[in-house]
Amino acid sequence: MNRTRRIAPIASMLAASLLLAACSSGGASSSQTTGTLKFVTDKGAWKPQFQSLNSVSQKDIKVSLNTTGYSDENQYQAFVKQSFRTKQSPGLFTWSTGDSLKQLVDQKLVADTSAIWKQEIANGNVSKDLEKYYTFGGKQYCVPMNIAYWVMYYNKKIFDKYDIKTPTTWAELMSDAAKLKKNGVTPFYQTTTLFTFPWFETLVAGTDPALYQGLSTGKVKYTDPRIVAIMNVWLDQEKKGWFNNAGTTTDPAQMLKQGDMAMINFGTFFGASLEGVGMKPGSDYGYFVIPAVNSSLTKTPVPVETGPMCVASSSKQKDLGLAYSKWWMESNAQSAWGAARGDVPFNPKATVKDASLKTLGTTVASGKYELVPRYFEAAPTPILNVALEEFGAFAANPGDPKPFLSKIQTAADTYWASKK
Amino acid sequence: MTVKKDHYRWAARSFVAPGVLLVAVVLYLPLLWTVFLSFTSYDGLSSPKWIGAANYLQMFQDPDFLNSMSNTLLWVVGTLVVPVGLGLVLALLTFNLKGGVWLRLPFLIPYGISGIGVGLIWSFVLQNNGALDQALHFFGVVDNPRWLLDAPLNTVVMIVAAAWQGVGVNALLFSIGLQSIPKEPLEAARLDGARGFRLFGSILWPMLRPLTTVVIGLSIVASLKTFDIVLGMTKGGPGRVSETLALTMYKDTFVNSQYGLGSAIAVFLTVVTLLAAILYLREQLSKKNEF
Repeated sequence: MNRTRRIAPIASMLAASLLLAACSSGGASSSQTTGTLKFVTDKGAWKPQFQSLNSVSQKDIKVSLNTTGYSDENQYQAFVKQSFRTKQSPGLFTWSTGDSLKQLVDQKLVADTSAIWKQEIANGNVSKDLEKYYTFGGKQYCVPMNIAYWVMYYNKKIFDKYDIKTPTTWAELMSDAAKLKKNGVTPFYQTTTLFTFPWFETLVAGTDPALYQGLSTGKVKYTDPRIVAIMNVWLDQEKKGWFNNAGTTTDPAQMLKQGDMAMINFGTFFGASLEGVGMKPGSDYGYFVIPAVNSSLTKTPVPVETGPMCVASSSKQKDLGLAYSKWWMESNAQSAWGAARGDVPFNPKATVKDASLKTLGTTVASGKYELVPRYFEAAPTPILNVALEEFGAFAANPGDPKPFLSKIQTAADTYWASKK
Repeated sequence: MTVKKDHYRWAARSFVAPGVLLVAVVLYLPLLWTVFLSFTSYDGLSSPKWIGAANYLQMFQDPDFLNSMSNTLLWVVGTLVVPVGLGLVLALLTFNLKGGVWLRLPFLIPYGISGIGVGLIWSFVLQNNGALDQALHFFGVVDNPRWLLDAPLNTVVMIVAAAWQGVGVNALLFSIGLQSIPKEPLEAARLDGARGFRLFGSILWPMLRPLTTVVIGLSIVASLKTFDIVLGMTKGGPGRVSETLALTMYKDTFVNSQYGLGSAIAVFLTVVTLLAAILYLREQLSKKNEF
């Protein structure tokens, strides 16, 4: 009995020390450049495609991804932010460009990738135009995970049924919308959560790209009469019934397939979702670059989104992550990614499943178009969060836009004051 | 003897120590850290900066926070009236009824579903052109309310969804309470001619008080921290009109990266919940209310 009593404290202490030991970590050393790389991403649905590249990466550089996908963006961001405070910061993770990436760079949390960029630009694996989204203080951080142009997807069968040709001017697009509505088809998609910004982005950038840029730098107020006038154009379209019921939570790809609406303003990665619901490019759906609202613009603005793939500077797998990042930019990796996801490749040497996407990449790079950063990356995060809610509230209850814009401007005033 | 006692004490402490350590690490330390953060400006990346009570001042000047407070109050009242009230009615109707257990069983099944699951099911039913709208269209009703888009209707329908989940378990608890009431006073009351509301008001309700206290106390605490159903059904929108305090705390912390402000709301919510529970239980369990 006495023996038991003596053993008990020792056993308890052992158990506690085991528990603490379990909380600490092993893991690869920082200099390791081959092996299994821990990769976390907010694109949980893309995990199979990321994992499918392992056979290629293993063959090329002897690195495989162990992917953890999150489907909840907020949970993901909280996890990544907290991980920087531990030794468990990820060897590779996806993030957003713009203000979100700047926050990480300012805190020196992501690894410098300047050498990789220099080499890959010299090798012709990436356009120098893309570099600016990854450059802070003259240095580059992270590499492009993908690139997407925001265009208008449409249900081809509906367009064919009502003899609608893809519009080349804003007036044609408006006329098409009116024609669709007259025939009982809702022209455009809208939602009240997350993707609430595309129509605002299309209207503002398409009316005046400088005005659009001014919003992201704080030089233009959301309450500016020009922005109010643009919002009133949106309001007028809402009143005409040109958008689907805002409260629906049905998958937008399924909605386009069902003909709940004829068009949806989305990034070029949306093609994979449409194929996922059984739509075929060319026969079931197509897409076009949205013409500029202002016909006097010499170049049509095209919102572009590029999502980064980053390496945490404190990660134990930093070298492994950088090795994978370098490989990711090369044509072998991008061709494999193009085959797996069907995205527009940022590497001009890469092949892609849907040839028209590659054409789109070269088309928008021509002189007729002006690439503008997507609103999601262009707006500083604290302003973006309020704007996403307010655009959603406006879509749900279309009315005088001033109260919605005032609320966004209040967030903008607070943000820009904090930067002075 | 003393040596034996000491051995016993040390053995007892060593067995309790891991549990105490665990509680301290996973409950008390985060609580203290949250209180500390509530007095700081912290974005989750840089180091927290001490700003005193600024977060608390900002919180009470924020119209979204005040709206959250009124929504939460609506949840507290609604949860007491609907799931608790209906649970009591269901228990009374099925009490002493042959096969009453089987009548209560279907009401219990939703309790096995998570809050977020309930939210998803009901958002499918209540979204625009959802199952309910389609059913109403079938019966010729076309001008339906926008269940999840208009405030405060969206909060009211979410309370109904919460009731769908909670009625069964409340009915079960009240049934247990009814079964534990001694038969003698009931029979005596019946012999004296008490029936229906008279029997309920004079005998059943007072004798159910200990259980009612627990059910209502749990209901108040649960409704003050309502989160998952709202997240599943409206995400607090459109805009922020249907947020509850717990959701506002979550959004300010993890969406807007204002960890200090989110912590201040968390502290406020904790204090309100504790105060509500303590005041209610003290009132109910005080001597004057003893049966």
